[in-house]
Amino acid sequence: MNDRATHILLIEDNPGDADLVRLKLVESQPQTRVDCVHRLSDGLASLDREMPSLVLLDLNLPDSRGAATFRKILEKAPNVPIVVLSGQDDEALAAKAVNHGVQDYLLKGDLSSKRLEQAMRYAVERQALSRSMEMARKKQIEFKNQFLSHVSHELRTPLTCIHQYVTLLLDGLAGPVAPEQSDHLRTVLRSVNQLHAMIRDLLEATRAETGKLRIEPRCISLSGLIEQAVAMMRPTAQAKQVGLEIRMDTRIPLVFADPDRILEVLINLIDNAIKFTPAEGAVTVKACMAEGLSDMARISVCDTGRGISPEAKNLIFERLYQDPESVDDNRSGLGLGLFICRELVRLHSGTISVASDPGQGSTFTFTLPLYSLTKLLSPVITDQGTLRPSLVLVRVELRPLSSPPRGNWKELWPQCLETLRRCVYLDKDLVLPPTGATGGEEAFFVVASTDMDRSGVMTTRIREQLARNTDLAGKAALTITTLPIELPRTRAESLEEQVEQVTQVVNRMVMNSMAGVRASASAAH
Amino acid sequence: MAKHKILVVDDDPDLLRAMRLRLRANDYDITTASDGYMAIAAAQKERPDLILLDVGLPAGDGFVVLERLQQSDALSAIPVIVVSARDPQNNEERALKAGAAAYFQKPADNEELLNVIRVSLPQTSASGARPS
Repeated sequence: MNDRATHILLIEDNPGDADLVRLKLVESQPQTRVDCVHRLSDGLASLDREMPSLVLLDLNLPDSRGAATFRKILEKAPNVPIVVLSGQDDEALAAKAVNHGVQDYLLKGDLSSKRLEQAMRYAVERQALSRSMEMARKKQIEFKNQFLSHVSHELRTPLTCIHQYVTLLLDGLAGPVAPEQSDHLRTVLRSVNQLHAMIRDLLEATRAETGKLRIEPRCISLSGLIEQAVAMMRPTAQAKQVGLEIRMDTRIPLVFADPDRILEVLINLIDNAIKFTPAEGAVTVKACMAEGLSDMARISVCDTGRGISPEAKNLIFERLYQDPESVDDNRSGLGLGLFICRELVRLHSGTISVASDPGQGSTFTFTLPLYSLTKLLSPVITDQGTLRPSLVLVRVELRPLSSPPRGNWKELWPQCLETLRRCVYLDKDLVLPPTGATGGEEAFFVVASTDMDRSGVMTTRIREQLARNTDLAGKAALTITTLPIELPRTRAESLEEQVEQVTQVVNRMVMNSMAGVRASASAAH
Repeated sequence: MAKHKILVVDDDPDLLRAMRLRLRANDYDITTASDGYMAIAAAQKERPDLILLDVGLPAGDGFVVLERLQQSDALSAIPVIVVSARDPQNNEERALKAGAAAYFQKPADNEELLNVIRVSLPQTSASGARPS
């Protein structure tokens, strides 16, 4: 205790209780430093400045009561032992506190110096123990993930070599190949590609587990994406004589999703469906608005295969799960595909589920958020319950200097978007997501919480940052224009409706501006 | 017409041999290097029209090579295509920011790679004469 709990933060609003505790502390530990605050907010502020060796906490404070009090402290200082000092003998609350990570729950009524000193000492010890266990566990997971990532990488090198030489032979670059030999080589190549896909899945799953999986959502058309996935899977379906069709509700608005990642999910689900459907069966990809959820689209992949048992349904999205009945059918991969699908859908704030009865086929369904400018704008253009006083629309136009554009024009778009995001304040400005699946646009838009006079600072920053991109230099002409966003004169009553009004104004401005781009671009040809 | 010259940098001799065969078959002149130091030296001496660059290399990894090339007035205009076993997440953006024209993960699709090589090469007046 001497060398550890020497600085104590006491959060207690009753001056009498505070003095009493302080007295008891000093009695048993004369060298202890005790900082006493009366409000939770002051306690949190003190934790911001300095971490004490222990927090003594009253739960009922002027600005917080009950469980919320210890939750906030735990969140702020997860590594500092917390001992609750309570006036009420509430067994349920005490259990809840300890469950959440509070080290002890003491009653003010029967508190002796000795009891307090003991409790604090044990609290410090317990906290240190659980912390070291937690650290050991983290280290273990980190080691496992590093190992997996290293092994996957090392496996790729010889695999690349096999791939290179097999394709050399297949392409006849090492002399003519007889039809039967070429057939065998194609079998080798198929296995190589399978192995490569497994390694990729392994890395993806590791990344999902460590929270490193990232998505870049943009505003995209769902039908285009589904058509692309179906076209890519058509040869596989045909080879197995399985029908593959699309049933789209054409009224689905644009969705807000990462096209590459959702394509991956679709292909995975369709591939699975084909795999488990016998010849003459059919796989159908459907999309519609989600019932009961006005802001989500629902995509399903249905098959007429043998279905999934109820036990398997609960486990099918878990990592490494293999349907025991399907393992020996063919090489079915690592059991990571659906896990990765679930993680990717989750990153999009969607959900994924399966409905199936044995013998009746299965339907995998996932949801994706619809693109909503209102939802994106809302946190940016409002501040403490009111609309920000002044908003502008910044239009950043990049026009290729040559036609067709030189080099990797398409690759430049994510870079520019990233640069723009670095130039704005994320809590009060919004870089509008680009529309279209491939990024062939010629303008970006930023809604900024500033006025015309002050917007120059931002546009200068954007200009300077984009000029630093050497890829862009010599390939594009940059034009930045700023327009005031006219807030409606007659404001709607609720903030929500006001945000909706602004959204409509922004939408109209962007559309007009895009139409202007298109018109002038086509005039130039 | 004069053939385009491509410098292939990889520390795996087997892969170098395979790349040489494939690129020769596509009518390119090939020169190779197997580490970062040799890559810079070869770029200076041979003045290739394009460089295929691996990342995991002895004596200066691919990113170091990329940086050196960009710093040199004489070499910064040579398009560099990075071909690496490393995952595109993290590495692709880094490579493009460092000046690479494209990023491929190994094993790269041969057709795609050849296509990107074709469009990345400096367009000469002879470009129209290339077989379609």
